[in-house]
Amino acid sequence: MTEASTQQALRNGSAPLPIRQRESVIGAYRTEIAIAIAIVLLALAVGSQVPQALSWGNFANITQAGAPLMIMSLGVLLVVITGGIDLSVGSVFSLTGMVTAQAMAHGFGGVGASLIGLGVGLVFGSINGFLVTIAGLAPFVVTLITFAVAGSLAFIVTNGRSMPIGDPDFWLLNSGSLVPGMPNYILFCVVLLVAIEIFLKKMVAGRWFYAVGSSSAAAFLLGIPVKRTKFLAYVASSLLASFSGLLTISYILNAESTAGSSLMLQAIAAVVIGGASLLGGTGTAVGAALGALMITVIQNGVNLIGINSFWQGSVTGVAILIAVLIDRFSKSRRRAA
Amino acid sequence: MTKRMKAGLAVALAVGLGLASPAEATEKKTVAYLAPSLDISYWQWVGYGVKKKAEELGMDYVEFTSENSPAKQMDNARTAVTKGVDAIVIGPVSSTSTPPLLAYLKSQNIPIAFAGIGPQPGQTDYTSSVTANNFETGKAQGSFVCKLAKERGGNKVGMLSLPQDRENAQKYLKGAEEAFKADGCDLVQMLETRGLTVNEAVTQANDMLTAHPDIKGIYGMYDEAGTGAAKVLETRGLTGKVGIAVADGSPTTIGLLKANAIQGIFFQEAVGQGLDGTQQVYNALTGAPVEKDLALVMPLVTADKVDSAEAKGVIDRVFPPAN
Repeated sequence: MTEASTQQALRNGSAPLPIRQRESVIGAYRTEIAIAIAIVLLALAVGSQVPQALSWGNFANITQAGAPLMIMSLGVLLVVITGGIDLSVGSVFSLTGMVTAQAMAHGFGGVGASLIGLGVGLVFGSINGFLVTIAGLAPFVVTLITFAVAGSLAFIVTNGRSMPIGDPDFWLLNSGSLVPGMPNYILFCVVLLVAIEIFLKKMVAGRWFYAVGSSSAAAFLLGIPVKRTKFLAYVASSLLASFSGLLTISYILNAESTAGSSLMLQAIAAVVIGGASLLGGTGTAVGAALGALMITVIQNGVNLIGINSFWQGSVTGVAILIAVLIDRFSKSRRRAA
Repeated sequence: MTKRMKAGLAVALAVGLGLASPAEATEKKTVAYLAPSLDISYWQWVGYGVKKKAEELGMDYVEFTSENSPAKQMDNARTAVTKGVDAIVIGPVSSTSTPPLLAYLKSQNIPIAFAGIGPQPGQTDYTSSVTANNFETGKAQGSFVCKLAKERGGNKVGMLSLPQDRENAQKYLKGAEEAFKADGCDLVQMLETRGLTVNEAVTQANDMLTAHPDIKGIYGMYDEAGTGAAKVLETRGLTGKVGIAVADGSPTTIGLLKANAIQGIFFQEAVGQGLDGTQQVYNALTGAPVEKDLALVMPLVTADKVDSAEAKGVIDRVFPPAN
C-alpha cells in the first residue's frame, strides 16, 4: 500500500491505525489507562472481601452515586486546564437545588424550574469569569467569594430548611431513559464526557484552553482570545455544577442547603487524580471522569467493607498522592526517553 | 430661681421619679439563645421554642450563632452579657466546650439552660439541662426496628448512624445494641454519616443493602437517614419489605410515615426543649423552683397514629407550624 492510498484508506475509515499511531493513542492516555487499571484492581480488592461489590447492582450504585461528581469534575477540569481554580462549584450545586425546588414550590414545572436552576450556574459562572478576566482578580479569591455567597444564599432561599421536589415527574431527569436501557444519568455522563474530550482534543477552541493554561502571555501573542477562553471555562464549570445539582435533586427528590458541601474538594481531587496539573495546561476529560469514578469506588468500598467513613478522606488523599506520583514518574521517564 | 420655678422643678422631678419607678419595676427581661449553628433546622426549631416561650413570659429575645466554633460561642456569651441579657438558653457546640463558658456565666450571675446537648459530665454550674434521653430512645428504637425486621421474616438489621464521636450518638448506639441483643436481632452493619445529607444517606443505604441484602430493618439515627433509606427502598422495590424507624422527625419524614415508606418516628422535641429551657431560666430569675436535669423521652409515632390528636400534640413540640 502506498503512502497516498494509506492516507485515503484512513480518511475512509477502512484501514486499521498504523502501529505508531496506536502507540501514540496509548501514550496520550497513559495516565488514564493507569487509573482505569487501578480502579479495576481496587474493585477486585473490595470484591474479594464483599463479593456483592462486583455485582451489576453495585455497578449501578457506583455510577448513580458518581454521576454528579463526574459531571462537576468535567467543569472543574476546564477551569484547571486554563490555569485557574473553581472553589464555588459545591455552593453553586447546593444553591441550584434550593432555587429549583423553590421555583417548583412557586408553581413552575420541572422544565421551567430547571432552567431557573441552570440560571444560577450561568450567573455565578459569569460573575467568576468577569472578576477573573475583566477585573483581573485571582481565581482562588474570586471563587472563594462566590463559594461563600452562593453557600449563604442556599440557606437564605428557604431559611436553611430542606425542600421536597414538587414536580412528581422530575425523577425522570435522572432516572428516566431517553435511550432505551440506559438511565439518563449515565447517558448525560457519557455525552458530556465524549463532547468535552472531543472539544478539548479535536477542536481549535478546545486547544486554546491548553494554550492559555500553559502560558497566557504566549497564547495572547499567538492571537488566542485568552480572556474569552477563561470566561467560557468558568461559565461551563458553574453550568455543569448546576446541572449535577439538578441531577441529584431529581434522584433524591429533595433539595438541601448543604448538599454540595463536600463535592468541591472531591471534584478538584478527581481532576488531579485524572492527571491534570493545578498549574494548568494539562488534563483530559477521560482522566477527570476516571478520577471521579475512583473516588466513588473508594467511598463505595469503604462502605461495603464497613470501614469507618471518617477514613474515606485519608484513603482518597492516599489515592491522590499515588496518582500524582505515578504521573510524575511516568512523565520523567518519557522525558528521559 | 423664683419660687414658681423651684416649685415647677420639684413637680417635674416628682413626676419624673414617679414615672421612672414603675418602669423599673416592670423592666423586661431578655433571654439570649446561643445556637451552635443556625443552618440546621433542628437548632432553628429550638430557637423558635425559646422565642415563643419568651413571648409568653414577656421577655425579649436575642439570638446568636456560634458557627460550630467553641471560641465564637464564648465570644457570643460575652457579647450577650455585655448587651445586658438576663438569661441564656444554649445549644452548645459540644459538651466539652462548656466548662469555661459556665465558669464565666457563673461569675456574671447569669442563669443558663442547655437544650439538645447537655453540659460536660461533672459540670454543675448550670441552671437546667433539657435534653433527649438518648439511651432510652436508642433502646426503644432498637426494639422497634428489631420487631419490624422479625415481622418481615428476618433478624438482620442495619444502622445509619450519626458520627460516633458525638455523645448522643454513642448513647443511641449503646441503647440500640442492648435492645438488639435482648430481642434477638443482629446488627450486621453500621455506617456513620459525615455530611448529614440525604444524598449521603442514599449512597450509604444502597451500599449497606448491597453488602447485606438480607437486612430487614433499618435504624435511622437522624432524619435524613430515614429519608435516604426510604428512597433506596423505593428504587429497589423494597418499600415495606424492609422496615425503617428514624429519630428526630421533620415534615419530610412525617410525609414518608403517612405514605408508609417508613414505619415509625421517634420524635425529638426541638421546640419543646426551647420552651422548657426558657421556662427554667425564667424560674431561676423569678425565684420559682427549677428542674436541673430534664431528660425528655422521645415519643414514638407510627403510621397508623400519625393523624391522632396525641401525635399532633407531640409534633407541635417538634417543629414550628410554618413547616
